[in-house]
Amino acid sequence: MYRVRLPVFEGPLDLLLYFIRRDELDIYDIPVARIADEFLAYVRLMEELDLDGVGDFLYLAAVLLHIKAQMLLPRPPAPADNEAEPADPRQELVERLLNYLRYKDAAGRLDAQVEARQQLYTRGAAAGAGDEVAEQGPPPLAPVPLFELLDALRRVLERRVEPPAHTVRREIYSVEAQMDYVQAQLQDGRARPFGELVAGRPRGFVIATFLAVLELARQGRIWIRLLDGREDFLVEACEATAMEEADVAA
Amino acid sequence: MLQPERNGMAATPLMQGIEALLFVADAPLSAEELAALWERAYGTRPEAGEIEQAIAALNDVYEKTGRVFRIYRWGGGFRLATMASVSPLLQCYKQQEVKLSQTLLETLAIIAYRQPITKPEIDHIRGVNSDYAIRRLQELELIEIKGRSDTVGRPLLYGTTRRFLEHFGLNSLDDLPELPELQQLLENPEIQREHLRLLYPLEPEQDEPSE
Repeated sequence: MYRVRLPVFEGPLDLLLYFIRRDELDIYDIPVARIADEFLAYVRLMEELDLDGVGDFLYLAAVLLHIKAQMLLPRPPAPADNEAEPADPRQELVERLLNYLRYKDAAGRLDAQVEARQQLYTRGAAAGAGDEVAEQGPPPLAPVPLFELLDALRRVLERRVEPPAHTVRREIYSVEAQMDYVQAQLQDGRARPFGELVAGRPRGFVIATFLAVLELARQGRIWIRLLDGREDFLVEACEATAMEEADVAA
Repeated sequence: MLQPERNGMAATPLMQGIEALLFVADAPLSAEELAALWERAYGTRPEAGEIEQAIAALNDVYEKTGRVFRIYRWGGGFRLATMASVSPLLQCYKQQEVKLSQTLLETLAIIAYRQPITKPEIDHIRGVNSDYAIRRLQELELIEIKGRSDTVGRPLLYGTTRRFLEHFGLNSLDDLPELPELQQLLENPEIQREHLRLLYPLEPEQDEPSE
């Protein structure tokens, strides 16, 4: 099976923050019941895509389901002698999210700091000495956060009508073949919505094509652009000029 | 006490020696290290104050004569580097620097502010396994093992290196930008709008959920 390795992948707290931002939720009043279900749906999709690091997401999904269960349970009337008892079960999660935001903010400040520092050249650095701090690995996936792409994929999958099963033969789609397919579709240089590329095709085809799109974007061979309303996203071939191939993950 | 001749910009031997050392050095040299090197070469040991003065005088000369060099204080030592004004030119000469990914920056920020810190604590804050990030940061020599925690299992403790300070242009950990308090995040007008939306409670009253 083709495994997507994403070293710059965002974590489960980022997915939660993505929901909060997307739906303009109040971080102090997260509708856990709804979010837990949606979170789990994303995790299932990620499992289907065989994305790296799904285990961490499963753990947070379990935390969310636990909170959801706690909130659904009838609360026993608080005993009079124990005043501080009825704590919101979401409190710990909110504190974690806020704390995480602080470090994300600090990371941004460090980034600004290093940018200022890198304007000042030392002799070794300008001479290209090998001791420079540089990160190896593939370039960022795409100028679009992965969660937004997953969101779009989910909508495409939901919209899709399963064609009548005339045959029980199981179709096997390979990501490599779908990469060829996507590139062939984009040959005319026109941007196409992802939904159009997979219209009327079985689920396995859609998933393999999505992975192919991710891989092509990572290699810098196609562009991905989100459409307004995030119903779908556009894919477009990059100009073939000066496109050096990034290393392909094993 | 050295008194560099400001008018004629004449340099003292100590100034020339420090300039030469900082020119060839690949890492910041502390006042202590500069003094020790001078002592090995010439048998006399300059005071820390003399070294500080010589460096201030060198920077003074650079400024007054319109040179592009400055001696910066990074990671507890001194480093000769160019000024920001010539960076566009140098950038063309030098290959493009690859930035640290968001994952590495986040992990590094947590370690920088919370050091010494164990991996489970980092994982807890990020909600994600940080094996990859920690390994990469160690390879980049931005963090290092500082010892072991006394808690169960005696996990390794991580902290930032002197190289981290130099890379970020800091002299010591005291120079780290302050870790924002939540209140600051709310009050800072430069915080992105999404952040504000995230952080600002829509309904100030804390009503308990009654489902």
